[in-house]
Amino acid sequence: MTTPTARGLHRPTLVIAVALFALAFITWRDASAMQIRATYGMGADAASYFVALFLALMGAGHLVAAFRWGDDPGPTDWKAVGWVALGLGSLIAALWFGAGFIIGSTLLFVFTARAFGRRAWLADLALGLILATGIFLLFNKLLTLSLPMGPVERLF
Amino acid sequence: MESLAFLMQGFGTALDPMNLAFAAIGVLLGTAVGVLPGIGPALTVALLLPITFKLDPGGSLIMFAGIYYGGMYGGSTTAILLNTPGESASVVTALEGNQMARRGRGGPALATAAIGSFVATLIATMGLAFFAPLLVKVAIQFGPWDYFGLMLIAFVTVSATFGSSPLRGLTSLAIGLWLGLIGIDQLTGQARLAFGVPNLLDGVEVTTLAVGLFAIGEALHVASRHLFNDEKPIAIKGSIWMSRQDWRRSWKPWLRGTAIGFPIGALPAGGAEIPTFLSYTTERKLAEKPEEFGQGAIEGVAGPEAANNASAAGTLVPLLTLGLPTSATAAVMLAGFQQYNLQPGPLLFVQHPDLVWGLVASLFIANVMLLVLNLPLVGLWVRLLKIPLPWLYAGILVFACMGTIAANPSVVELMMLVAFGVLGFIMRRYDYPIAPVVVGLILGPMADSALRRSLQMSLGDPMVLLQHPGSATMIGIAVFALLAPFVFKGLARFRQDED
Amino acid sequence: MTFFRSRLAAAWLIAAGAASFAPAAMAQDLELTIMAPAGAGGGWDSAARALQEVMMSTGNARSVQVVNVPGAGGTVGLAQFVQGAAGSPNQLLVGGITMVGAIITNKAPYDLTAVTPLARLTGDPLVVVVPASSPYQTMSDLMEGIKGDVERTIWAGGSAGGADHMLSALITQAAGADPAKVNYVAYSGGGEALAAMLGGQVTAGISGYGEWQGQIESGDLRALAISYPEAIEGIEAQPLKAQGIDIELVNWRGIFAGPGISDEDKATLEQAIAKTVESPEWQDLLKARGWSDYYAPSDEFTAFIASESERVTSILTSIGLAE
Repeated sequence: MTTPTARGLHRPTLVIAVALFALAFITWRDASAMQIRATYGMGADAASYFVALFLALMGAGHLVAAFRWGDDPGPTDWKAVGWVALGLGSLIAALWFGAGFIIGSTLLFVFTARAFGRRAWLADLALGLILATGIFLLFNKLLTLSLPMGPVERLF
Repeated sequence: MESLAFLMQGFGTALDPMNLAFAAIGVLLGTAVGVLPGIGPALTVALLLPITFKLDPGGSLIMFAGIYYGGMYGGSTTAILLNTPGESASVVTALEGNQMARRGRGGPALATAAIGSFVATLIATMGLAFFAPLLVKVAIQFGPWDYFGLMLIAFVTVSATFGSSPLRGLTSLAIGLWLGLIGIDQLTGQARLAFGVPNLLDGVEVTTLAVGLFAIGEALHVASRHLFNDEKPIAIKGSIWMSRQDWRRSWKPWLRGTAIGFPIGALPAGGAEIPTFLSYTTERKLAEKPEEFGQGAIEGVAGPEAANNASAAGTLVPLLTLGLPTSATAAVMLAGFQQYNLQPGPLLFVQHPDLVWGLVASLFIANVMLLVLNLPLVGLWVRLLKIPLPWLYAGILVFACMGTIAANPSVVELMMLVAFGVLGFIMRRYDYPIAPVVVGLILGPMADSALRRSLQMSLGDPMVLLQHPGSATMIGIAVFALLAPFVFKGLARFRQDED
Repeated sequence: MTFFRSRLAAAWLIAAGAASFAPAAMAQDLELTIMAPAGAGGGWDSAARALQEVMMSTGNARSVQVVNVPGAGGTVGLAQFVQGAAGSPNQLLVGGITMVGAIITNKAPYDLTAVTPLARLTGDPLVVVVPASSPYQTMSDLMEGIKGDVERTIWAGGSAGGADHMLSALITQAAGADPAKVNYVAYSGGGEALAAMLGGQVTAGISGYGEWQGQIESGDLRALAISYPEAIEGIEAQPLKAQGIDIELVNWRGIFAGPGISDEDKATLEQAIAKTVESPEWQDLLKARGWSDYYAPSDEFTAFIASESERVTSILTSIGLAE
């Protein structure tokens, strides 16, 4: 899917290298702040130091690689990614503010369908609502598993 | 051969038409719920268990067996067709299975998974019936040092899932190990990388990670490309059934997967994931066309699926003989047994032989029922791919989020799911393999505890790892497997130079 | 006059009837949600589901739902409950001694004084065992061994800082050794620890009696003592106290309501729970699950929690898990 590009500084690889170093640093800091020591053998910090070292090595590897090769991820439809993100965000917001599972899932359905190029909002809205309500009824009523409640859920 | 008499009696009960119907309902329900991404077998059994309480003990036990196997099997369907494994044990299945589905061979992939599960379960259930008390004696001798040796072997074999670039593969693994650090350390009670967030104290849920990376990451990735290479719903090429060649290539992986899965599943801390990794690596090494791996090799579905299901039956060994639940699913099942006033433990086989053999017979029946019901369904499942992409991915996202909320109704968990989805998207975009992250998360904490338990018992002396023959052997194998490729490469080069 | 009197009498009757029947009628109308601050399959989850089953079958509540909020020894569920169930007449929380420990070790934002204790329900004895092949025959043999070499007396049990760990520290202390030196290997639960016991990798083990009952009865494990204050029918092992070791530790579980609920609601809930616990259905269930009845009403339970919190803090401090 990816095609190698010309030599030169490859930005994404460099960013990943920096991210790996940052992660290694956080892990090392966290390990050195641990207070509870193991009475015998190794403490909980040993694994953290190991992983921090591992991450730092990988960061170094990426740093070298950033100057040697790079892949071009190809064209990206950021709008579509945005729509999916909006859908996921809506579900999180719906649960956060107590709008409930059905409203949240319906929005997720509609926005994701939009991301893939659908524009029939009303049809998708109806379909999403039916799907979400069906799931809710199945789980809450038949399997007594409580999905988050909101105004719509209280109607049942 | 008293046990055989009991087994026959058990079959007598299980073959009653009414009980057969219960088995069928159980398998259907288990498959239907298990097929949803994000809902693994543990949650499936927990959700459906109350339904079985309403029946008489015999019928409910049979339905229960059906739900268990149905839930185990259901997870592989979405892994193969949609690249969204519902649980960690199906992650490996997704590797080759989804590649097959993308090439229009979803039917054979599902079929080899179903038949492989059947074969593995059949053999493993027989193993359970006749060797459980013996097997468990060996299993409890497994000390923390031995587990550490096993983990090392598993770590080395993970490299098989790395894809083209070792740097990217190792980076994925490192990220998985890092995620594995998060939460309270089991041995000291010390929190690692929790940053004061209480929801992080229990660590990262493997299912959340797997569903986020695979289901959500995949949806984001496909959305980002959709405009440019307008992926059409995948056409089904050729027969949806297995060809002669598929059979020929599948039967050995089934048996090898079973041989790997059952004993490891029987270990008190073996689990279902490690056998799937080991089986995948084995098949890749033994395949006639190893270059097909990563492009949809049927062996890569047949082996791990058999291993997964054999280990599920293996889990029942410590559960029935010791009363020791070794997986979340087994813990839920233990609660189920207690409902029938059945206390699993060393005396179970002596005190309630009728119930034990009744259960074993039920497992056999449920297994057959699973095959009978699911093979015809393969055609139906494959049609899932005919759903228009917008609705298909919208549906996947709704189900994936629902599964996570159902297991843990918290917004923080949902945010983690989405964050892992973004991670999965970035990794796909820059061609990093996904599976090693899940592997790191599972193996990291296990290896950490095994090593530290060993050192705690030896008061800090690392020689403990080499003093026990089991662990010394396994560490030796791991080191050999790690170094062998380099050595052989070096030898080959050496010979080339001589020529 | 007689007319008036009979009217008065009738009014009294109605009033008395209302007074005595109203709470019962209200209890039957209860629609409850019980939060189990753990995942499916764990101890709190099964306690919550057991209560759900019996409250509904005895008619002490019309409907009961169980919600699982797993995390950090129950403290995630507790925090969510304190915020979400304030003043609510129909939300309950299951908790126990592990939560008391987790609150301290995790430095949780809320402790059990933030919620309203309704009743203590069950209390399971912990059992101290050694493998059948162990040279230790009695509790005093084990104590002697601890005194001789505390480092090489390796314990196996549940999670670090849990009830099992606490009991090992108490016993080590009673043996005259430093509890900070206890070599306790934590496992994810009684199950994995059991495998280590049977494999002979550790010296002694601690778990809930019920979890290891099968192995004790089959002779694979030798039970040396239980941590319950008095002997229990059907359990051969004698209490530590009866063996001259002044230690008791009970793995109790109780039920709580939200913060700041009205006295009326509290009384209704208390009564519904009390009636459930008295029912033969509950007693049968306890027997089936191998749980011990440890019921205490709200007031007694509240005082109990205060003393347990203090005790747990001092034990955890002695192990080095709390300051």
